[in-house]
Amino acid sequence: MSQVDYPATIKQLILLMKSLPGLGPRSAERLVLWLMGRGESRVGELIEALTSLEERVAICEECGFFQEKGHDCLLCHDPKRDRRLLCVVEEAADILKLERSGAYSGLYHVLGGKLSPLDNITPADLRIEEMIHRVTELHTEEVILALGADVEGEATANYLADMLRVTETAITRLAQGMPAGGGLDHVDEMTLYQALSGRRKL
Amino acid sequence: MLSRLFLRDYRCFATATLALHPRVNIFYGRNAQGKTSLLEAVCVLMRLQSPRTSTKSEWIRFEASTSLIEGTVNDVDLRYAQNATVRRLAVSGAVCTRSDEYLKNTALIVWLDHADMNLVRGGAEHRRRFLDFAAAQMFPEYRDALKAYERSLRSRNYLLKRDDVIPWKQVDAYAVLLQKHGSVLRRCREALLTALEPHVVAVQQHLSGNTEVAALSYARGYEGDDLAAVLHERRAEEERSRSTVAGPHRDDVTLEINARAASAFASEGQQRTLCLALKIAQARVLEEARGQAPLLLMDDIFGELDKARRQAVLTALPAESQIFITTTFLDWMEQTTLNGHCYEVSNGAVEQRL
Ligand SMILES: [Zn+2]
Repeated sequence: MSQVDYPATIKQLILLMKSLPGLGPRSAERLVLWLMGRGESRVGELIEALTSLEERVAICEECGFFQEKGHDCLLCHDPKRDRRLLCVVEEAADILKLERSGAYSGLYHVLGGKLSPLDNITPADLRIEEMIHRVTELHTEEVILALGADVEGEATANYLADMLRVTETAITRLAQGMPAGGGLDHVDEMTLYQALSGRRKL
Repeated sequence: MLSRLFLRDYRCFATATLALHPRVNIFYGRNAQGKTSLLEAVCVLMRLQSPRTSTKSEWIRFEASTSLIEGTVNDVDLRYAQNATVRRLAVSGAVCTRSDEYLKNTALIVWLDHADMNLVRGGAEHRRRFLDFAAAQMFPEYRDALKAYERSLRSRNYLLKRDDVIPWKQVDAYAVLLQKHGSVLRRCREALLTALEPHVVAVQQHLSGNTEVAALSYARGYEGDDLAAVLHERRAEEERSRSTVAGPHRDDVTLEINARAASAFASEGQQRTLCLALKIAQARVLEEARGQAPLLLMDDIFGELDKARRQAVLTALPAESQIFITTTFLDWMEQTTLNGHCYEVSNGAVEQRL
C-alpha cells in the first residue's frame, strides 16, 4: 500500500471538520480541499468571523439566549415583556420560532437540550437548577413547558413539572395539535400560535 | 391486490419482474433458491419491515449498493429503495418522507410460516408480535404508540439499571409516558382480540370437523387502568429486579382448546390447527376492519397440509384475498383446484410456468 497521504495539518483539519454536526467524512474532506484551492480567498473571512464570534457574542446567564457582549440581554431586560411568565424551551433557536408566532411576550429559559438516558444526557447536563432559581427569584406565576412532543421532550416536561412542584407556580404545556414525535423546529407558526393560546395545565 | 412486482439487487435477485395473478401465485423450486425472498419483498413493500430480519442492509444483493423493490398495488405504484444506511420511499412516482403516509397506500398482509407454531408453544413475545403486526394494520395510532412505548421502556429500564441509587424522579417521568402510550396499546389489543375470538372459534371448528372448541383471552400486563400508579406501588419490586415490572410489554394471550391450555394439553395436530386458525382469523378481521382483503403470504406450509385442511383453509380465507405460496413440491396441486399462476424459482431467476 502507498504511504502517500495529506500532510498532517490537513488531516487534522479534516478530522476537526468531521467532528462538527452534519458533516460526514466525505464532505469534511471536500470542504478542506476547497479551502485549500478555489476557496482560498474566503479563509481570512472565516477566521475573522470565528474570532469575533468569540469576542463579541455571549450567552445570557439568565435566559440562555445569545447576546452582544457588554450589552444587556434583549429578552431579559426588555421592560415591555411580561415577567410573570416563563417559557422553557430546548434550544435557543426555539425562542425565535415562538417570537415569530407572536403569541407570547413573557420571559424565556433555554434548557440546552432534553433528557435522554439512552444518549447519556442527564439533568446535570441541562440548565435545570438555573430554571428553579429563576422561578423562585422572579416569583413566576406561570411556567410554560414548550418542549417537543417526542418521548424525550415529554419525559423532560414530566421531570421539570415534578421539580417545579416545590415552587407552587402554575405549570402549563403547549396544547394538542403539536405533531407527535418532533421538536418545535418541525412546527409552523400558526400551529405554535394555537398551541400557545390553548395551553393546558399540567 | 398486487398486480406487478419488480426487484433489483434484492437478496439473490439481480432483476426480476413478475406480472401477478389476482388470486393465487405459487413459487416452487428447491430450497435456498430465493422463493421466500419473494414473499419477504412483498412484506417489505407493504409493511416496511421483514419477518426474517431487522437488519435492512442484509437484503442488498452481494456487491450491490442499493436494493430496489417496486410494486403496483390497487393501481398505485410503490417504490422502496434501501442502501446501507438510508431508505427511500415513493408513491406514484413522488418521494414520500413519512412512513405513515406511505403505509396508507399499501395493501394489508398476513404472513404464515413454520414459526407460527410458536404462537401456541413459544413464549409470550411471539403472541405479542402477532398482536402488534395485526393491530398496526388496523389502527392508525398503533404504530406510533408502540414505537414511543418501546423507547420509553428502554429508557426507563436503562435508568433502573444505570446507577447504584435509582434516580426515581427521572424513572417516574417515563412511567407517565408508559401509561400514556400503553393505554393505546391496551385499547387496540383489546379490540383486536374481541374481533379475533369469534373467527378463531369458527375456523377451529371448521378445520377440526366440529370437534374442537377454541378460546382466547387477553392476559393483561398490568392491573387496573393506571400503569403509572401500579409501577409506583411496586417500587420495592423494581428496586430488586431493576426493570419495569408491569405494562403491555408483559401482555399475553391465553389460548385454550376444549377448555384446556393449548400449549400443555393439545395434541400437535390441534396446535397446528389453532395456529392456522389464528392467522386466518387475522385475515378476516383485517378484511372487516379495512374493507379490503389482505394478501396472504404462506411460506412453505401450504403444500404440507393434508388435503382436507388445505381445502378447509381455502374455503375459510376471505374470498377476495390474493394468495402467495412457496413450496418445494407440487404433487398436492393435483388434489387442489387452484386458479392462478405458477412460477419456478431457481438460483435467483423467476419464470412463469403456468
Ligand atoms: Zn437573557
